[in-house]
Amino acid sequence: MELVLIILLPLLFAVLALSLCRHGQWPLRLLQLGAVCHLLLVCYVTLPGRASNAVSFHGIDLFGLDQVSRLFLTLTSLLFACVAAHCGRWYPADRLLGSKRGHGHSMRPGLFVACMLAFLSMMSMVLLACNLGVLWVAVEATTLASAPLIIFHQGPRSLEAMWKYLLICSVGIGLALFGTLLLATAFTGPQELSPGLNLSALMAARNALDSSWFKAAFIFILAGYGTKMGLAPFHTWLPDAHSEAPATVSALLSASLLNCSFLGILRFVQIAPPELTGFCRTLLIALGLCSLVVAAFFIIRQRDYKRMLAFSSVEHMGLAAIILGLGMNNLAYVHLCGHSLTKMMLFLTAGSILLTYDTRTVHAVKGMFGAIPRTATLWVIGVLLICGTPPSPLFITELLLVTQAPLWLGATVLTLLFVVFCGMASICLDMVMGPRPETPPDSEAVKAAESLCGIPALAVVTVLFMGAALIFFIENSQWV
Amino acid sequence: MSSWPAIILVVFLLSSIVLVSSSRLVHCIQLVALQGVLLGIMPLIFWDWQSSPPHGELVFLAIVNIAIKGIALPMLLILAMRRAQVRRELEPLVGYALSQLIAMLIIAGCFAGYRHLIGGTTANSAMLAIPVAASTMLIGLFVIIARRKAITQVIGFLVFENGIAVFASGLMVHHGAIVELGILLDVFALVFIMGIAVFKISREFQHIDADRLNTLRDRRDHENTAPPAGFTAE
Repeated sequence: MELVLIILLPLLFAVLALSLCRHGQWPLRLLQLGAVCHLLLVCYVTLPGRASNAVSFHGIDLFGLDQVSRLFLTLTSLLFACVAAHCGRWYPADRLLGSKRGHGHSMRPGLFVACMLAFLSMMSMVLLACNLGVLWVAVEATTLASAPLIIFHQGPRSLEAMWKYLLICSVGIGLALFGTLLLATAFTGPQELSPGLNLSALMAARNALDSSWFKAAFIFILAGYGTKMGLAPFHTWLPDAHSEAPATVSALLSASLLNCSFLGILRFVQIAPPELTGFCRTLLIALGLCSLVVAAFFIIRQRDYKRMLAFSSVEHMGLAAIILGLGMNNLAYVHLCGHSLTKMMLFLTAGSILLTYDTRTVHAVKGMFGAIPRTATLWVIGVLLICGTPPSPLFITELLLVTQAPLWLGATVLTLLFVVFCGMASICLDMVMGPRPETPPDSEAVKAAESLCGIPALAVVTVLFMGAALIFFIENSQWV
Repeated sequence: MSSWPAIILVVFLLSSIVLVSSSRLVHCIQLVALQGVLLGIMPLIFWDWQSSPPHGELVFLAIVNIAIKGIALPMLLILAMRRAQVRRELEPLVGYALSQLIAMLIIAGCFAGYRHLIGGTTANSAMLAIPVAASTMLIGLFVIIARRKAITQVIGFLVFENGIAVFASGLMVHHGAIVELGILLDVFALVFIMGIAVFKISREFQHIDADRLNTLRDRRDHENTAPPAGFTAE
């Protein structure tokens, strides 16, 4: 029952934000209250040693918890709480500066909060889903809940990004639905024993799945959920949506939503018949490498710092796919957790830079150390962490990936990681160093940006702590 | 009685072909509505009436399907079309005659490929659904690629989605009423949001040509060189 509550609670708050508390400070308070309640509920449900009853309805397992969903549910809820806390200061500052600079209307607070909470609810539903049909419905619903958030700053560019996001993701997820249906027909045993689309039943019946049907299903699933996860060559919507969305929304899109789509692919790898795991892994490694190449190529010539972060997400999703393809599932989870925390912090910091300089082009941002020292420090640390500089947790996962992989794969990954590092470092240095800009950013914006450092700093401390813990406990760990 | 499934599927395919070669948007929307109604009655037609009458869940789903895909979605599309003030797709990227030819080639390819896959044995009419579903999906994707207007792309997406639904009902995939309702709700909400997006695009750009939505790209200093959106050269 509490599992249903995890999904319904944010929806309830969303309805409240739309109907009763639309004006003034109320919606933002509601957002924070909703996030905290969700976090408390998730902590209660995922307490070690506590078993929640799975929810089923007419023979369909709707929701349940396993190790993976526990981890990602806690992570998502935590990230959302951070972003909600950040919104408390960011939203008024963005609105004020936006109207001062004549950017036109931004989204009404009631609608913004309602969409954010609905987005949280749908992501929880993805993570809790125990049935592949329910999983599909929830993933599609995350697209619908997050699409309006992209046109937060109404304008031609964000409209274009939203249209691409809607169309490309919907077609992609449509392919995933086709893959799910193919899987439903893959069962070869007697009709009355058919597992339907329930995960646990499918996992028990994995030996009775027809291999050619499963292969076809997996290809469609990989293309479908891969689109949503941002694996190249299906990633084309990602840089547009992540760069046009406002800071808090891109932080959520990149840090939580990509994990949810990863979970969609992971579920199918889990139910693959034993003789087909090799096939699945080869495909995952191929797509992962492709993403790495694309990301490296676009980061090295990037002139827009938010797009750089978006392509860095493509890179890390590619790395996660490769790690999953090598069969090191737990390592992939650690990698995704590290990426989520760091990327959330980076997108929030990028939002502060955008507030100050009012541009996303790299060459227009100069002398951040002089103008906004705190934000600049966070930005440098964040970029170093996302590139896998020790003691970032990404350093450990990438190190293990390179050492465990075959030589050719390890060498290629290492080369591409180096290219990404060069690209990101040069962009980062361009921005933080140099003389102060001739027209200094106005003091109000500087003050707003510098006051927004709390949550990113907290995230940095968490990531550093996580990385240090990983380094110290790597010796006696069994999860690799 | 047993020829009914085949007839329905053929009508379904014909509606796709006509849709590809029609320039009036109202006409396209009517065809999508027809497809929606056909989809709604398809599970009832495929049902084995000799053994037992269909259970209540199936009838309920058929009614909901017809209500959403046959009535609600077309109405939403017509509303969006009126709001955006477009009637026709005047300059498609691929001409209508050529589009029709391509659609027929897609269908022929799907049927030939399917026969090749199952080894030339004559299949029952439920198995006819697979090539029909595949070709409808491909035609939907083709419409998305070959048309300019954002609203025609929504229509293309619906055709694509209908293709998937044909597959589900043709092979009698039972994923449960709740999942099916979820899928329908998702599609409905998607078209609703896309309709709003079409309206906003038409207000912002004074056109809904999706191929001219091309400002966002990775190019060196695009901030300086790209002309303002909405005024790009054709």
